[in-house]
Amino acid sequence: MTQKILFAFVGLWTAVLYSPSVIHACSVCLTGDRDATTDAFNWSVIFLMSTPYLVVSSIAGLLFYSYRRSAAQQETESASEPGVTKEFIG
Amino acid sequence: MRPNAPIGSNAWLGVLVFLGAEAMFFAGLIGAYLVFRLGSPMWPPPFQPRLPIDLTGMNTMILLASAVTMRLGLRAVRLENYKKMIRLVAVTAVLGSIFLIIQGYEWFRLIHFGLTVSSSVYGGLFYTLIGFHGLHVAGALIWLVVVFVMAEKGRFSKKRHVGLQTCALYWTFVVALWPVLYGLVYLY
Repeated sequence: MTQKILFAFVGLWTAVLYSPSVIHACSVCLTGDRDATTDAFNWSVIFLMSTPYLVVSSIAGLLFYSYRRSAAQQETESASEPGVTKEFIG
Repeated sequence: MRPNAPIGSNAWLGVLVFLGAEAMFFAGLIGAYLVFRLGSPMWPPPFQPRLPIDLTGMNTMILLASAVTMRLGLRAVRLENYKKMIRLVAVTAVLGSIFLIIQGYEWFRLIHFGLTVSSSVYGGLFYTLIGFHGLHVAGALIWLVVVFVMAEKGRFSKKRHVGLQTCALYWTFVVALWPVLYGLVYLY
């Protein structure tokens, strides 16, 4: 019995959640198509969605660039060291 | 060839991660701006003062020039030209100060014309976005002064210049952010 009441309650609650006119949870669900507010929210969402990828790829790019530069610098330094040749470095 | 030495110091990596967080902070502000800007049928709203595009455009050039001098300063320390490095750090600080002074003058005029934080959404967004950037420039400028004093005391060398390197990284971020904000708030 308790299970049935719980099931009915969850079902009812889910039905309420799926009705935007009741809870107004979605800020862009109530506006019509081609609405300026809807477009504004959508562009903002796209921008905010893409920013983390841009940030992480920028950091990764900088780390890769630093790695390459460090390797090149080390190679130059070891090549210019007196008495050390490529053969000895192996 | 794989480098044996670490590619950057812990401080440098820390600042890099911090800048990632900073970028997300500004992304949030820009996201909010986009909602109001694109959702509004008329922008700027009527009866609001127009922003000084030319003066701020010139100010943008000054800030971009400061990024160049900062990078040249960093290159000078790597080439062990310490006098040039000190001079370039000083020039960067002066250019940053000029940018802030012009921004302050611009704000003074806008407030005089009635654009305040509480006057409208337009004013609120303008002062929040541009104000936070100005705050970051001011913070970076304080850091730059500390770096200048350290450079004067001879604390930096070709092998050890983490303070200058991290400051240059932060300054570059602050400068790179500005054209985005200028384009969005002033030109768009």
